[in-house]
Amino acid sequence: MSETEDFKPKILIITNLKCSDPGADYVGQSHLEYTPNAFIMRTKDPSVFPEEFYFYCFEQGFDGVIIMSGGTDTPFKGAYEALAKMIDNVYVSMQERGIEIARLRLTAICSVCAEAFIKEMGRIVEAVEPLGPIKV
Amino acid sequence: MSEKKKVDEKNEEKVAVFICHCGGNISDVVDCEGVAEWAKKLPNVVHSEDYAFMCSDPGQKLIEEALDKGATRAIVAACSPRLHELTFQNVFRRKERNPYYFEHVNIREQVSWSHPHTKDEATEKSKRLVASGVAKVSLQGFLEAPTVEATKKTLVVGGGLGGLRAAKDLADKNVPVILVEKSPFLGGRVTQLDTLYPKDDDAKELIHELIEEVLSNELIAVHTNSEVTSFAGSIGNYDLTIKHTPRGVTSKIGEKAAKAIDICPEVVENEYDYGLTKRKAIYQKYPGSYPSYPAIDWVNCTKCGKCAEVAEGITLENDPTEQSINVGGIVLATGFKPYEPYEGEYGFGQHPNVITLPQLIRHLADNPSEELIWNGKKVERAALIHCVGSRHREDIDKPLEDGSLNYYCSRYCCTATLHMANELKDKFPDMHVFELFKEDIRSYGWGYEDYYTTASEKNVRFFSFLGEELPQVEITEKKHPLSITVTDRLTFNETMIIPTDLIVLAVGMMPEEIPDIIDMMKVPQGAERFLLSVHPKLRPVEADVDGIYLAGTVQAPMTSTEAAIGASGAAAKAAILMSKDIIELQPYVAEINESLCKGHMTCLPACSYAGAIYEAEVDGKTVARVNPALCKGCGTCVPSCPEGAIQVKGWTLDQYKAQVKALAQDPSEV
Amino acid sequence: MKYNVAVIGAGIAGQQAAVDIANQGYKVVLIEKEVSIGGKMITLSKVFPTMDCCSCIATPKMSEAAKHPDIDLFTFTVVNKIEELKPGFTIKATKKAKFVIEKDCIGCNRCADVCPIDYPDEIWEHGLGVKKAIQVPFDNAMPQCAVLDPDYCTFCGACAKVCPTDCIDYTQEDEEIVLEADSIVLTTGYEHTPIENKKEYHGEEYKNVLSGLQMERLLAPHGPYGHVLRPTDGKEPWSVAYVQCAGSRDESVGVPYCSRVCCMYAVKQTMLLAGKLPLADVTVFYMDIRAFGKGYEEFYQEAKIMGINFIKAKVAKIKELPNGNLMVRYEKMEEGGGVDEMEMEMVVLSLGMMPGTEVNRMLDIDVDEYGFVETPKANIDPTVTSMEGVYVAGAASNPKDIVDAIAEASATAMKVGLYLSSLYTKGHATEAKVKEEI
Repeated sequence: MSETEDFKPKILIITNLKCSDPGADYVGQSHLEYTPNAFIMRTKDPSVFPEEFYFYCFEQGFDGVIIMSGGTDTPFKGAYEALAKMIDNVYVSMQERGIEIARLRLTAICSVCAEAFIKEMGRIVEAVEPLGPIKV
Repeated sequence: MSEKKKVDEKNEEKVAVFICHCGGNISDVVDCEGVAEWAKKLPNVVHSEDYAFMCSDPGQKLIEEALDKGATRAIVAACSPRLHELTFQNVFRRKERNPYYFEHVNIREQVSWSHPHTKDEATEKSKRLVASGVAKVSLQGFLEAPTVEATKKTLVVGGGLGGLRAAKDLADKNVPVILVEKSPFLGGRVTQLDTLYPKDDDAKELIHELIEEVLSNELIAVHTNSEVTSFAGSIGNYDLTIKHTPRGVTSKIGEKAAKAIDICPEVVENEYDYGLTKRKAIYQKYPGSYPSYPAIDWVNCTKCGKCAEVAEGITLENDPTEQSINVGGIVLATGFKPYEPYEGEYGFGQHPNVITLPQLIRHLADNPSEELIWNGKKVERAALIHCVGSRHREDIDKPLEDGSLNYYCSRYCCTATLHMANELKDKFPDMHVFELFKEDIRSYGWGYEDYYTTASEKNVRFFSFLGEELPQVEITEKKHPLSITVTDRLTFNETMIIPTDLIVLAVGMMPEEIPDIIDMMKVPQGAERFLLSVHPKLRPVEADVDGIYLAGTVQAPMTSTEAAIGASGAAAKAAILMSKDIIELQPYVAEINESLCKGHMTCLPACSYAGAIYEAEVDGKTVARVNPALCKGCGTCVPSCPEGAIQVKGWTLDQYKAQVKALAQDPSEV
Repeated sequence: MKYNVAVIGAGIAGQQAAVDIANQGYKVVLIEKEVSIGGKMITLSKVFPTMDCCSCIATPKMSEAAKHPDIDLFTFTVVNKIEELKPGFTIKATKKAKFVIEKDCIGCNRCADVCPIDYPDEIWEHGLGVKKAIQVPFDNAMPQCAVLDPDYCTFCGACAKVCPTDCIDYTQEDEEIVLEADSIVLTTGYEHTPIENKKEYHGEEYKNVLSGLQMERLLAPHGPYGHVLRPTDGKEPWSVAYVQCAGSRDESVGVPYCSRVCCMYAVKQTMLLAGKLPLADVTVFYMDIRAFGKGYEEFYQEAKIMGINFIKAKVAKIKELPNGNLMVRYEKMEEGGGVDEMEMEMVVLSLGMMPGTEVNRMLDIDVDEYGFVETPKANIDPTVTSMEGVYVAGAASNPKDIVDAIAEASATAMKVGLYLSSLYTKGHATEAKVKEEI
């Protein structure tokens, strides 16, 4: 994180119950650390969200949103494919509305992917930091 | 019940908040008292306090008291919901309240353990998460768990020690069992052992006794040469397909089996003794194996028909048949496989006198003799190397094909190696036996230490090497064809050279490969690729899929005794499930608001579960409906509805939005 | 009173067995000799390898066992004699006086607030903390019922005056009870090997030489000092040594066996120490580190990465210096051996395990030379004892860690269930007959 700037991006982490949420637990169990300015909201599966939902998150002041899905490990059939398609559409709308697409990130985190979790958190912070606070 | 239901439906939003210190696990980082005090300002909160151990009895009493005093809903901010969500929901159940008005907030794994060095931020984060939990539970609607009638039948996957033990225990509890074994023979890896420590019982005798008990039990249907090919449903009601490949031989073959095997022209490696000998394409696993008649290995059979010419009961037909089954619970007992050394690992594959411990066990069991002859020459010196494929170190050990390392300890091998050293000394008193171990000898179990002390007394010579400084093996032209160079920590860190005739690698345990089962059943694996239980102490034999239990080495390396214990434990949990007539399912399923639904049916293709969403007519109007027993509650259908008529109960979009709002809000502005 | 099963000993194995048996629909009586259930486990700090706080694992199980509708709980009850009825058993026990009417006590602990007597708590604080002559045994005790100790009580009457439910009864007497059960489960657990066994370590004499269980209390969230401090001067130790196999794998003290848990609890404690006292040097003197269970090896390697110093050596002698420090003299087992010395501010002896109760005092069952319950079918069914209808789980049959004790307790529950079903539907044995076409 940049020391000179004061901006610490506020990140929303969307996890799913079976994969990335236990993965986030595993991060803690493994004594790994990441920015505390990131907040986990667990879901049964992130494929539940319509496009507008992501804009709602930005409107509420989140500078970045990272979706930690279970990828193909998700326990639900067809859910990951639907989610990936949805996020593609969200990216198009973001561009239309002038929001940098780097603010939204779709990843797959498994229940023991502590290192990947940390890496992905690093990536979104790195991507959002230069963009500055969200303006909607 | 109906009275209670009415109360629930009109449940007011009166939330009690509890912040757990978890001893110091949370309170060392998070200002729990401060969070509790602050939470009093949140909308709908009628009570807020912090306590050392919310999961303890006095902690649970605090929730009861708050409910007595008028709170209708509660959140506990504590450890992961995977540990204690159920504990706190049960407080509601005990008070005859609806458990779904409880919300668990994770501020341990996901806050205090992840941010131990930024205490102020961790406290602030906890406040936001608490606010989010309060917001969610405030919007919780009335939920009721759908119930299903449980099928009182259990599927056991795997016909080795774990599977047989679990099947037998369940059947003795009057639970019908379907046991499937993918190979044509029963007994698994234990049949490849000779005597078992600590009592030196005969492995085959023990497993044969168990097999006989299983086969004679009317409640157990045994399917060899069979595997699970499809999986659907949920706890209490799993629908599976079993694919059965004919074994090609029936018991009619009788005495002629030997002739049929003899005449078979296809000669292949015998996996039963890890490739030390050859077998035919029509084969018996070992003399006396179960079933007692041969099977045909279809991969290697050319269907030449010679065997059928000399014996009855052979049908060279291997078209598989499929069978649909319905069971209430599943026990996975798919076992382990020994680590396979790579070519060149301590000379393995480069010199025939470098073998694995399982190979030597098989050889000694099948070739009783006064001398150990290997590769045509008497073995005067034998060296056993520990930790082959276990306790791997980064940058030292060579990764497996998938790039991973086996960091774990395989548990059984130290004692198995000591057991072997003793056996060699007993059978061949003149033989020089060396043991090279990686840092520690782990003879941990009851009676295991005796093998260590007796081996020392019998003059087995021990060398210790560091995981970072592995012994080197050289092939020589000298009298003893192999030479080991080891920096021995037990002496003056001297470099010792050990000429030897035989090198025996104590290979670790790896999980048997079951990618299809993992993929179908979505049972989580740990970092070491064995299957994970929900919690090693709280729910040690339950997979994180309701109604699926783990028996034996499918979840970790174990000795046969430990596998039998694990299997009985898994059987106990399955039997308890089978004793219930009705099973409660998760209430979190999709719900369609029929007044909003316009019958576009866009939700139907969005759903991947057949029958979960269906079309119905209401007053001449087409609407979509949900079958709660088939819906998994993933919510993938939710965004597909242009009318916004679908919600997942308990996880509605309104709840998510309220959470996002609460998480985004600065706690000082509340 | 008649039960299907009597479980004797309410530590973690006893609780697990009782719950798993009761969940099969049997009536269980759970008998505990101490005033609270929980056993040794409830006094621990955190548990390896998950580092869950011990209470988080133990207290919900205690609560489940105590509140189960099919489990009756008898605490402070000592089993004297178990007689075989063939089938079934009669259990004669003494329910010791708590001097408190259990059903009326609400666990408010006001009695302890006014009690003027303090004395060392040997059971729950392993001698490091104090307790009152009347008090609820500890925070998470189950049942939450105050107990008066007549050996220390001066019968001043202060407690009776403040008790809101008037449940203190100075005249209460021990009660002899007789219970019947068709099957018995022995979960009598362990005691640690006597600290005085190793004379050369002076564990009994030197205050800064602690047992592993005492260190657990110092590390526990509600420990006696609330922090890791030296008993002699209340100073934070800058250096701590662990002496492994201090009473196990040692023919000279009559315990040649490996106690199986000490390596891992020591590794765990060193990691907790590294967290609590980041500047302290922590050294472990060991013969072999037996990190054999699931996730244990990884845990051990983590400790090494955290900077814990592991030295393969046998400690020969510990000598106290005038400032309370301890000179540890050790014989190196590698790199040429030789004797060395290191000055430490605190030493922890990793004591081993011995049987918790002389079970053959209560019933005529085979025990081995150390007093552990014999398991004649150890290879295939280690829950079976020499006596029909009597089963064993946990450390009563030999040293075991919590994970293995819990696993065994569940297996025992299964075996007991099977025994009872066969007992209740006698004569249903089937002959082995191999089925065709499988």
